Amino acid sequence: MTAPRAAYPVIETERLILRAPDARDLDAWMAFFMGPRSHYIRSVDQVEELGWRAFASVCGHWTLRGYGQFVSSSKAAPTATLGAAGPWNPAGWPETEIGWTVWADHAEGKGYAREAAEAGRAYAYDTLGWTTAVSYIDARNARSVRLAERLGATPDWDAATPRGEQCVVFRHPAPEALQ
Amino acid sequence: MTVAPVIETERLILRPNRPEDFDAYAAFYATDRARLRGGVKTRAQAWIQFAAEIGHWSLRGYGFWAVENKAAGAYCGQVGLWNPEGWAEPEIGWLMMEGFEGKGYAHEAALRARAYAYDTLGWTRAASCISEGNDRSIRLAERMGATFDRRFPRDGMPDHLVYIHPAPEALQ
Repeated sequence: MTAPRAAYPVIETERLILRAPDARDLDAWMAFFMGPRSHYIRSVDQVEELGWRAFASVCGHWTLRGYGQFVSSSKAAPTATLGAAGPWNPAGWPETEIGWTVWADHAEGKGYAREAAEAGRAYAYDTLGWTTAVSYIDARNARSVRLAERLGATPDWDAATPRGEQCVVFRHPAPEALQ
Repeated sequence: MTVAPVIETERLILRPNRPEDFDAYAAFYATDRARLRGGVKTRAQAWIQFAAEIGHWSLRGYGFWAVENKAAGAYCGQVGLWNPEGWAEPEIGWLMMEGFEGKGYAHEAALRARAYAYDTLGWTRAASCISEGNDRSIRLAERMGATFDRRFPRDGMPDHLVYIHPAPEALQ
């Protein structure tokens, strides 16, 4: 008997393939988590044991919510996971979020995060029916702040934050404003 | 993503976790009993751990099942095979919710999980890592024929005691 597999959506953008995360992405995630690039998104100590569990929870989010972060790879190199983006809503989250992380150094500065985040937001709005979405970003994370702004999101100073005094809530344009 | 297969025992169904199992799971982790099961957790912390238990299937190809009793169709707890990064070694774990202890459910479910590990996954060795002081779980491990091997220290928690189960050939 082999354990069954769940079917989850695959999204194609101009340059990327987005799919649910699994064991194929673990090494790329661990390299990201244990490196300097995870500084602003880690909520646990930077040890392998906790990084592994964090990624396991990213996988399990799909089962519990029916959606989650999509991992992305370039169509040109589909076996190399570049990062993750998309809907995120664990227990205790004040609102539904669109998150993104760029795992690989070489994936930075090419517009991949924007392409993946836009596809993840479109999935949340068009397929999941979300009527609003935020992104929780550490104020010191200049790259992510810039991406939120390029996505048309603006700070919502009245909105609740999940953690940390440095967290800024960026609210995305509503679905109808993106038509 | 790999999910848990459905398996039946005499009185139980082992099946994938569902979102509706979480309330009972979170209620357990809000109580002092959780001190001997990885530590007391807020609902948000418990959700991340619950999600990680489910995601363990994706990363390892095995993990925890939800235990449901056939008589009432009730979610009774978790049983399964656990080996996250940094763990002592692959283990058989169990956790029964309030009201479902003392019925032999954990024993029945853990025997089936061990059989799955040995017969389906081909494990040649299996442990159970139990917090020191969790006498109920230690008794169950011993009832399954497991014997104490060594201590497994854990940051900020009681030491875990590593019990080793009889090898597959010893159970034939």
